[in-house]
Amino acid sequence: MTAQESAPIGRRQWPLPRQADPDAPLLVVDDLRTYFSLESGTVKAVDGVSFTLQYGEALGIAGESGCGKTTTALSLVRLLPGNATIVGGSIRLMGIDLVPKSENALRRYRWREISVVFQGAMNALNPVRRVRDQIAEPIEQRLGQSPEAARKHADELLELVGIPTKRGRAYPHELSGGMRQRAMIAMALACDPAIIIGDEPTTALDVMVQAQILELLEDLRHKLGLSLILITHDLSVIAETCDRVLIMYAGRVAEEGPVNEVFRRPRHPYTQKLLAAFPNIATDRRALEVIPGSPPDLRNPPPGCRFAPRCPAAMTICTEVVPPELTFDGVRVACHLYRADGDGQPVETPTLATVGVAAAPEPAGDAAGGAA
Amino acid sequence: MSAATPAVPTVPNLRAERWRLRIRSARDFGRRFSRRADGVVGLVILLVFAVLAIAPQLFVGPLETVTRASGAPLQAPSSAHLFGTDELGRDLLNLTIHGARISMAIGFLATIITIVVGAIIGIVAGFLGGQIDNVLMRFTDFFLVLPTFVLAIILAPVILDVIGADAELLGIRATLLVIVTVIGVTSWAATARIIRSQVLSIRERMFVDRARVIGGGPGHIMRRHILPNVVNLIVANTVLTFAGAVFTETTLSFIGLGDPFQPSWGQILNAAQGSGAPGLGAWWYIAPPAACVVLVILAFTLVGNALDDILNPKSAPRR
Amino acid sequence: MGGRYLARRGAQALLTIFAIVVLNFVLFRMMPGSPERVLLRNPYLTQAKIEQVRKQWGLDKPLIPDQLVAYTTSTLSGDLGYSLKFRGTPVTDVIGQRFWPTILLIGFAEAIAIVVGLAVGAYAGWHRGGVGDRIGSGISLVLYSMPYFVIGMPLIIIFASSFGWFPTSGMLTVGATYPGLVDRLIDFGRHLALPLATVSLGLIGGYSILMRSSIIETRSEDYVTTARAKGLTDRRILRSHAFPNALLPMVTIIAINLGYVVAGAITAEVVFNWPGLGTLTVDALSARDYPILEGVFLLLSITVVLANLAADLVYGLLDPRVRA
Repeated sequence: MTAQESAPIGRRQWPLPRQADPDAPLLVVDDLRTYFSLESGTVKAVDGVSFTLQYGEALGIAGESGCGKTTTALSLVRLLPGNATIVGGSIRLMGIDLVPKSENALRRYRWREISVVFQGAMNALNPVRRVRDQIAEPIEQRLGQSPEAARKHADELLELVGIPTKRGRAYPHELSGGMRQRAMIAMALACDPAIIIGDEPTTALDVMVQAQILELLEDLRHKLGLSLILITHDLSVIAETCDRVLIMYAGRVAEEGPVNEVFRRPRHPYTQKLLAAFPNIATDRRALEVIPGSPPDLRNPPPGCRFAPRCPAAMTICTEVVPPELTFDGVRVACHLYRADGDGQPVETPTLATVGVAAAPEPAGDAAGGAA
Repeated sequence: MSAATPAVPTVPNLRAERWRLRIRSARDFGRRFSRRADGVVGLVILLVFAVLAIAPQLFVGPLETVTRASGAPLQAPSSAHLFGTDELGRDLLNLTIHGARISMAIGFLATIITIVVGAIIGIVAGFLGGQIDNVLMRFTDFFLVLPTFVLAIILAPVILDVIGADAELLGIRATLLVIVTVIGVTSWAATARIIRSQVLSIRERMFVDRARVIGGGPGHIMRRHILPNVVNLIVANTVLTFAGAVFTETTLSFIGLGDPFQPSWGQILNAAQGSGAPGLGAWWYIAPPAACVVLVILAFTLVGNALDDILNPKSAPRR
Repeated sequence: MGGRYLARRGAQALLTIFAIVVLNFVLFRMMPGSPERVLLRNPYLTQAKIEQVRKQWGLDKPLIPDQLVAYTTSTLSGDLGYSLKFRGTPVTDVIGQRFWPTILLIGFAEAIAIVVGLAVGAYAGWHRGGVGDRIGSGISLVLYSMPYFVIGMPLIIIFASSFGWFPTSGMLTVGATYPGLVDRLIDFGRHLALPLATVSLGLIGGYSILMRSSIIETRSEDYVTTARAKGLTDRRILRSHAFPNALLPMVTIIAINLGYVVAGAITAEVVFNWPGLGTLTVDALSARDYPILEGVFLLLSITVVLANLAADLVYGLLDPRVRA
């Protein structure tokens, strides 16, 4: 595994525990459900999401705002607001299920195994403390190093991300947006985690800086053998940086697989629409595709497939039965257009060319739902 | 799913529609308010005191004076005098309930002055901006920094000289009118500041620009667009200002600016202090007016906070 | 810290003080409660005598600019006139005697209130909805609704009259002689206890409520989420991240509040007969002793302005964003 062969800088301070199966993934999330309780009802923000993450892999989670991608990622470290609870499923980190753990027990995993780089580092950094000290804080508190050693270590991390030591002494408001994001990355590396979750880490930055940050993340990932979970609505970022992509819609997984496969040959109608909504220099397309309608109210999600109300290829079964997740060529997709006994080709090819028009064809001579 | 062709909505009666919306939001507000236990408790307390304040004679008869004292001096509470008597033999229950009228009336008038002055200055400064805003805010900040209480103490005798000791308005004597004026003059600054910042944030919003483009003059915009959006803030602020007014009036009366012939709760406490009640252990002289003051101020604060939470949802959601 | 920042704030403070002096002048010379009226009230003065006194006091000169300039220069050079009630004692002397008891009372009370109030408020806000919060906030709300003397009077009745633990009035026992300094301090302390408790409790009520709101707002800030993500203990997050940031608006509030503390201290002094500026003011009020009132107003206003300035400086120390 690449993790064991890391370069000296940022070397693992303790070896990753061995799992019974040496080929087991680093992280296995199975049927995760996280619900928010509001006055007006229960919002099923994450409703049965599963995925795996290998050592050294970069997984991108994409989808519209409100589809549950941030909630999914934050559920991993249970950084949820007070009215949210994980009501079901399992999160196995190196074989250990984090869901049943108490808050105190879970706290030990935070930052040391999984750290987070938040969006908009201006607010994510404490404005009245120096940047260097904020990076040194987890080193001192969680790793038990002395304050001086921690500060030195923090300086090294800042060098690693390209911030000179002198600038590290500054306060957050004295740094530019790009430097703050780098500082956040340095901070995320402080305890040498196995996984870094990037929650829209580049959204607030301009394109040039965005490229630099992504390059930095890539560089560090390969140097240190990190795994990365990148949450973003920007598919181009995922195309650049990630190995695999997970497309979410309304709290569920629509499609998941290697980036090249999914982007080259999207299977789920939502993925196709999502890709079509992005401008493409290569093609001749004039008008950007818009997906009509809006995401469902997650207090009362529609039965069956949640995308059905907006899907151009929706069939009757889509509004009744939750589509099973089937895998073809390494790509997992949850859509009734695909049959378990099929060959990975959709039963009906949905049309994408027009906006706002959805055909609702009846599948020929088929009454029962798709086989599971 | 086929896309429907959107039909143009026909709204024949815009006025009626607006009223329907208002009624619906009012009902919604009522529901949300009734959920707040603290607000409801405060409201009940205020209603009780309001009833007492409007017609005290219905409950305890006319105000007892020196000549019409009904008991012996400084008697502890008994069946004849539920709250005991003061050093002149007057029944304290009688005094306390009449005191409600005075205290609440003064608070009410003072609040009106504070809110009106504060709102006008706040809206004008916020909306017109520029030099006018600058000047007004310098003026306001000056008043914020001043220890206005001391200013009040100094202004009081001065204003009394101006009005003349015998003036009377709405059955309230000059001395108390002075207190009303003084509170109004010294309390408007905070309100002005709060309202001004709200106006500033509204001004940024699009619809004001659109109103301008259509041709609305500044007066029209201030009245029809800014004012309705500031009303929520003003309402919550008014209630809290009322609490402050009662607070200040009680204090000013206590230090001697009150009127012995129209005793507010503060005035009763002043008399208590003057007759040595604390040292003598005459707790019945102190407890009723003190408790009433605290209850009323507390009630206003509870209601004001509840209103603020409901009407101004800027506070962070439950986390 | 930026010297320019200091200079700017200092200049503003001076300007405000000057405005206060002018305001003082306006109030007392131009308003009907002028020294002239005071003079005219005395039935024993003949017209000639009145004219003489008027000349002596410079009242026959035009208000502006002559009287204003005269007033300003004499004020700034420390001459605040003579007390009417105390027959010719310079105002500065009278005020000087009463200044320290008030400063001591307010100073100690603020110190206690800041420590206790901020701590209680922070705890209540951090554990929002918990038992500690509900009890603490309830008590604070009630205290906040009580004028200071309403806090003081029950304290006297319970602890002084009934239990007899503390004296009921004054700063020192009348006519007492003290074998040593320590005894004097103890007696002073016993007299200070209840007034101090009164003002402190009043302040604690307000401070804890406001600190609670501040902490609640801070709690939902992103850097607190980051701190939680770092796996820091709850305590450390409160201490290192939430509290220092929640403290910032409190500094401003404490400064603005000084005007009201003064008011409260005045009423507390009356209740306990504490020989400070408060009782002085109230007595001067009933005696219409305007020079004293002017002097007290001037002194308190300037103190508040200076305290605000100090608060600005402290804020600059605490918040690096302001120092730019």
